[in-house]
Amino acid sequence: MASIAEREHALPGGWTLALRYGSLGMLLIAPTVLIFAAVIAYPLVSAIYLSLRSIFTPTLQGHWVGLANYADLLSSTTFWRALRNNFVWTAGTLFLQIVAGVAVALLLNQNIVFRSLARSLILFPYFVSTVVAVLVWRWLFNDLYGILNHFMLTLGLIDQPVNWLGQMPNAMISVILVGAWKYFPFVVIAVLARLQTIPPQLYEAATIDGAGPWGRFFDVTLPQLRSVLTVVILLRTVWDFKEFDLIYLLTGGGPINATQTIPLLVYQQAFGLNRMGMAAAYAVVMMAVMLVFMSLYLYRARRSEEAA
Amino acid sequence: MLARRFIGAGLLNVGTWAVVLAVIFPLIWMVLTSLKPQSELFHIPPAFWPQSITFEHYRVLLEETPFLQYFRNSSILAVSTTVLVIVVGTLGAHSLVRFSYPGREKLALLVLFTYLLPSVVLIIPLYLLMVWAGVANSLLSLVIAYTTFALPYALWLLRSFMQGIPADLEAAALIDGASRLGAFIDVILPQALPGIISTALFTFILAWNEYLYALVLVSSDAARPLTTGVMNMLITSFNIEWSLLMAASVLMSLPLIIIFAFLQRYLTRGFGVGGVKG
Repeated sequence: MASIAEREHALPGGWTLALRYGSLGMLLIAPTVLIFAAVIAYPLVSAIYLSLRSIFTPTLQGHWVGLANYADLLSSTTFWRALRNNFVWTAGTLFLQIVAGVAVALLLNQNIVFRSLARSLILFPYFVSTVVAVLVWRWLFNDLYGILNHFMLTLGLIDQPVNWLGQMPNAMISVILVGAWKYFPFVVIAVLARLQTIPPQLYEAATIDGAGPWGRFFDVTLPQLRSVLTVVILLRTVWDFKEFDLIYLLTGGGPINATQTIPLLVYQQAFGLNRMGMAAAYAVVMMAVMLVFMSLYLYRARRSEEAA
Repeated sequence: MLARRFIGAGLLNVGTWAVVLAVIFPLIWMVLTSLKPQSELFHIPPAFWPQSITFEHYRVLLEETPFLQYFRNSSILAVSTTVLVIVVGTLGAHSLVRFSYPGREKLALLVLFTYLLPSVVLIIPLYLLMVWAGVANSLLSLVIAYTTFALPYALWLLRSFMQGIPADLEAAALIDGASRLGAFIDVILPQALPGIISTALFTFILAWNEYLYALVLVSSDAARPLTTGVMNMLITSFNIEWSLLMAASVLMSLPLIIIFAFLQRYLTRGFGVGGVKG
């Protein structure tokens, strides 16, 4: 559109067309900028300010404590355990999402009956509310009447009912599994879209060269998926890292804080322990950790934008 | 050779469908449980199909719990958020794609940055802001809070869609004497409509499913949406009635089922454009 915007015509009132267009453009983006400033930029700055205060949640009264919250936080075992849990959860669920996502995408790329139905059914877990997902899984996990224990007992995989959410390491494994179930369809769709654009000639050439199914996968498919997988992994790392609903609703961070991640800690500090300043400090530290992944993604996005 | 291929294709079909059914099994189980009489839930071993189908749980849910109130709240909330975000986002995305002014590129990057921002970081200042503004504990406070994630998301998606509309279309309209706003309304909007529908559906689902802001900002049934409302039914109940909760889950997923049944192509389209195009 540069050609239109830059065409300089002197107009009545002395404004050039470019200037008029520029100000119309700014007018159109103005509501967005205002909303961003009020509900995103201001709260972000405010979070840093709040993290330097001690605030009692019910009265919202507080006083300046400087960096004391940060000093407390970095020397507490709670923080380091939550950070560790955060990484365990993110790595575990992300790994399963990618493996299951690529595998199912490969299956759904084959010629099967009712393929489009299968493709839309597989999306359901991703779009269903986390609340619904958690309710259903807590019912499946139920130690007395849950169907999961019943299946596994019948198949002889276990010889007594498993306590899925109430003890470790089961609770962490369960949370990771439900997370994988909920979010792997995202990987399926992204990978499937890419698979459909791989030229069939590449596979024909590989077959002529004597590559078997595995050879074709590693030599043709995987290299072709590299760029989409990088983007998917970065995005999902950010999203899994900040996950609150799923973990909070499945285990509440239990048993005894064993599945407590930093987002849960922020909530607990602010609204369970009434330490709002401390909660803000946790949030700021979490933001700092996430900035690493976020900048990687932003860097990549900007590069592909410039390439386009 | 032919027989082997036939068997191979058969195995592939059976295997793939087994995986698909296993993935959606929890959702099938949800529907089946919601139709079973309470007594059947505690059979050991559990029976797969209900022995007798009952709609009693749905009746109880609609008549004896605040479920309808929550449903109404969620509907108002999701529709308002979607309308607000689509109007602001369409104007904003058009500006980001078709105009040039200082700071435009930085703004686009900022949108992407906010798209990744965790709610947990914003929630404490937002809570204080709502209390200060006197709108805490209302649907309005949730609509405001939901724009924090819905607007960046919608902007990013709409921007990607609008980048796909050929620039020549607008240029042709301008040469024919249309103003830029006229060209936006007559030329760009109709072209962007499928993208706008996709974005609206995604935004609606995001708002419908949101939990954390609803948990923190709203504490009365008058403004409570389905997510926190139904969860409350689980927490406050003396003994958990799973069939009731499963019925609630089914009804809560109703908009989603409708979207899937009739508007699915818009969902897939949105996925391709915005979700992963880095």
